[in-house]
Amino acid sequence: MDLSRRGFLQAAALTAAASGLTVACGSGSGSAGSKNGKNLTLWYWGGALSDKVVAEAKTHFSKDVKLTVASIGGDFKSKLTTTLAAGTSVPDITGIKGEDMASFLPNAGRFLDLNDLGFKDISSQYLDWKTKLARTEDGKQIGFPIDIGPTALFYRADLFDKAGLPTDPDKVAERAGTWEDYFALGTELKKQVPGTYLVNNIGSVFNMAVGQGTERFIDRDNHFIGDQDHIRKAWTTAVRPYTLGLDAKINDNSWNAAVGKSLSTELGAAWHALDIEQAAPKTKGKWRVCAMPGGPANQGGSYLALPKQCRNPEEAFKIISWILSPKNDARGFADAAIFPAAPAAYSDPAMTGGDPFFGGQKIIDVFGPAAKSIPAAYEAPADAAVMAPFMTELTNIEAKGKKPDAAWHDAVGQAKQIARRQGVS
Amino acid sequence: MSSPPVTGPAAVPRHHGGPGPARLRPRRTPPAGAVRPRRRGVLAHWRQYLAISPFFLIFGAFSFFPVFYSLYLAFQRWDGMGTVQFVGFQQFRFLWDDPVFWMSIRNTLVIWVLSTVPTLFGALVLATLLHSVRRFRGFYRIALYIPNVTSIVAVSIFFGAVFSNNFGLVNAILGTVGISPVPWLSNPWLIKLVIALLMTWMWTGYNMIIYLAGLQAIPTQIYEAARLDGAGPIRTFFQITMPIMRPIILFTVVISTINGLQSFSEPQVLFGSNAANPNLGGPGQAGLTTLLYFYQSAFVNNDYGYGAAIVWAFFVLIMVLVVVNWRVVQRGRKS
Amino acid sequence: MTAAVKRRSRRPKGLTAHIVLGLAVLISVFPFVWTVVMATNTTEDIYKSPPKLTFGSHLLENVRHVFDTIDFFGSMLNTLVVACVTTVLVLFIDSLAAFTFAKFDFPGRRVLFAMLVGFMMLPLQLAVLPQFILMSDIGWVGTLKALVLPALANAFGIFWLRQYIHNGVPDELLDAARIDGAGFFRQYWNIVLPMIRPALSFLAIYAFVGAWNDYIWPLVVLTDPGHLTLQVALAQLHVGHTTDYSMVMAGVLMASVPLVVVFTLFARGFIAGATEGAVQGT
Repeated sequence: MDLSRRGFLQAAALTAAASGLTVACGSGSGSAGSKNGKNLTLWYWGGALSDKVVAEAKTHFSKDVKLTVASIGGDFKSKLTTTLAAGTSVPDITGIKGEDMASFLPNAGRFLDLNDLGFKDISSQYLDWKTKLARTEDGKQIGFPIDIGPTALFYRADLFDKAGLPTDPDKVAERAGTWEDYFALGTELKKQVPGTYLVNNIGSVFNMAVGQGTERFIDRDNHFIGDQDHIRKAWTTAVRPYTLGLDAKINDNSWNAAVGKSLSTELGAAWHALDIEQAAPKTKGKWRVCAMPGGPANQGGSYLALPKQCRNPEEAFKIISWILSPKNDARGFADAAIFPAAPAAYSDPAMTGGDPFFGGQKIIDVFGPAAKSIPAAYEAPADAAVMAPFMTELTNIEAKGKKPDAAWHDAVGQAKQIARRQGVS
Repeated sequence: MSSPPVTGPAAVPRHHGGPGPARLRPRRTPPAGAVRPRRRGVLAHWRQYLAISPFFLIFGAFSFFPVFYSLYLAFQRWDGMGTVQFVGFQQFRFLWDDPVFWMSIRNTLVIWVLSTVPTLFGALVLATLLHSVRRFRGFYRIALYIPNVTSIVAVSIFFGAVFSNNFGLVNAILGTVGISPVPWLSNPWLIKLVIALLMTWMWTGYNMIIYLAGLQAIPTQIYEAARLDGAGPIRTFFQITMPIMRPIILFTVVISTINGLQSFSEPQVLFGSNAANPNLGGPGQAGLTTLLYFYQSAFVNNDYGYGAAIVWAFFVLIMVLVVVNWRVVQRGRKS
Repeated sequence: MTAAVKRRSRRPKGLTAHIVLGLAVLISVFPFVWTVVMATNTTEDIYKSPPKLTFGSHLLENVRHVFDTIDFFGSMLNTLVVACVTTVLVLFIDSLAAFTFAKFDFPGRRVLFAMLVGFMMLPLQLAVLPQFILMSDIGWVGTLKALVLPALANAFGIFWLRQYIHNGVPDELLDAARIDGAGFFRQYWNIVLPMIRPALSFLAIYAFVGAWNDYIWPLVVLTDPGHLTLQVALAQLHVGHTTDYSMVMAGVLMASVPLVVVFTLFARGFIAGATEGAVQGT
């Protein structure tokens, strides 16, 4: 690779140099020198960290380093990938989304091993299944868990009440213990309160159902297993609300408009509370949360990592372990619905209070237990790419009325092909 | 002045539709510099070479070379960070079997036809009308060109809001006359229609200006003569205007083809807010154009070799289409 | 009699023409009006069905949100720098090359010009990946240089200006200048440039608008969040599940208005470049 790239560069440089263009044949990264830089940059995306905690971190460490923070919009992963590939303007500390972590692991060499910097001494404070997902097979820890996304069922208590259904979280959880129970509840709800839908789209159901299992699309031996029973079962579950007419089929930008009106429940991770709150501020107090049908899954939840180019690894590690200490992590929950990856935080007063948006419900009582019982599943680097056709085919069912069996057949066919392309056998 | 009536942009298409180098030079002008004896050969023209060198050097380094380097990438597997691995024609074999690739080509072609035909037709009508009126000409020209100076990103966001299924203005207006909401952004055909509408809105004014330039270059005497022969406006249009405008129309077809087949930003921004499936072109992937598929493969899935293969295969396919099309046109002209 | 026929046939035709053109203008301009409506209302108003159709009073608030979310003026400045530098350089490079191709014969001229026309057909998206690798190898990723340089190779501009110079600048004038002792560059600077001003203004707007609105390349190559262009920043406003539409629309408005103003100011020259200028030879 390097050889061909150098050849490419030389040829291009020759062409360019002839024109008198000053082509600076840089060494790629200008930060190769000393490792005790005084300027550190931190990349994250809006809502990944508590802005308040980050602001405090700036002042807290101001005597040692100057921390510059950049909130990156758009496609965070491709931005990070291209920057790492380029090796210039690489951030010293960067966020990595949970769903992208697997695809960065094969290139763990681009990051520092956090265990060398002291993570192994504090790792026991963080949920083991989450930490493990950011560790290579040979034990290199590249990600420091920020948060997790324990999922639950959000529901509109006022609509449940109108339909004569129980509104108390425990009772609702009981009534919606399995997916079938949940759909039965939805059918009832729709009968009593016409014009409402149980789920926004069936892709979200599929996503949750897959996350409830211990296996995903590719196993540890790098074999494609997306055509096996566990995925098929998740698929069948996902298609149910569609056939029952409980699916709002929202696949465009109108979720915001619908969430305060026609959607009676939402399946989502803890951070999804913020989405709902922002999209439908008028429904404050009407929502409640309870355990998800069929058990919890994890959705999202991110990491902080230190790229190899980090100008001051010691200090950078100090900063991230400060920002993500259980105490500070707990505050992120109140600020930005970031659910800490450190169980010690769950008993922190910042988390045990009632949430006015949920009518004063102590939502930690739902998410806390969920967090601890999330099944750990192996996520292969190509997992997200292989999952995409399943999601697409589910929208095909919704948008084109495609027959679910034909959609399944096509999804598996395409997924296999993408898997082959990505080197999965 | 002795130069021909049609100059400047209006003259562009004359050579544009030509088959290749042989016809590129319209006629041998006695170039001013050629008066000098050519005894010193190439060196005598160092000023000329210097004058054209910036373009060729910059193009060579930043466009030509990268274009062909991507051909090399199309035979590799590369995730953008790790090692490059030679895989021969494997990427193209994958491409051949990839229904999404073929769908993206269908999408691109459908969107291209849906946008190019109304754009060029509308532009021709508007240009003809504009040519015929005397008052407010300047105002019309500016007002109708304005869509083309807005950014695709801004326009895509705007169209996304106006055609939104649940809160869009279009459905609200349809609602007042009792029509139930139309799923503009989830029905596969309507998605393509919305993207095509967007492109039509942006490019009609641009093409109108080019047509107008051509119309103004037609000497009024020809029309006088036609009127004396008793030709009505419609006949004049089809028997005089159209034949003279033919090269200009060909030019706009070529430019619209290049633009239309490269549609990428429109669906990307229109459906980019779909958190579950960004870069996939919306429900049913109905808005997934080939370039968007390339972007998704290369920059989202980190499959750079496959991305390069997608664009090259697409380019070759388009070239084949163009050549076949041109052959057909030529044959039609001979018979 | 002919006069009577003429008048009768022209009046309704003129009226129809004005009606059709007027409608077209409405369609062209409507999105701007509607953008203002959305930008001055709250997101809730937009989500209402039927949506609010009148102007609101929340513009300042939305604008403030835009400023809080993205570095609007920073990215605007970047865009302005890129667009201006690109335009000026494109005008210079292209007009010089166009003059050479139009008025001089030199070995290889045909081949070089044929290559140039061929370049116009190459889809530059092919180049995005290797361009990015090249930029990263020379350490320009994230810089504005990386935006300007590739944009300088504007084959369309040369092609177009060459036609204009070929037909619009008489050889006699250049011959006369040469007899007066004007060299290659002085012929270009003193005679050709002033004569092709309308064509240049068309190309200027074309290049400026192109650079201002460029999206895919900046999206890929600008890795440093402090160095975004307006279009990329704008697209970032629009990301995520919860879109604050009124804020996004305020951003769209602020990003589009400068260009429309600049265009309207220079439109006279621009339109002349595309139309009247084209027929000056008659």
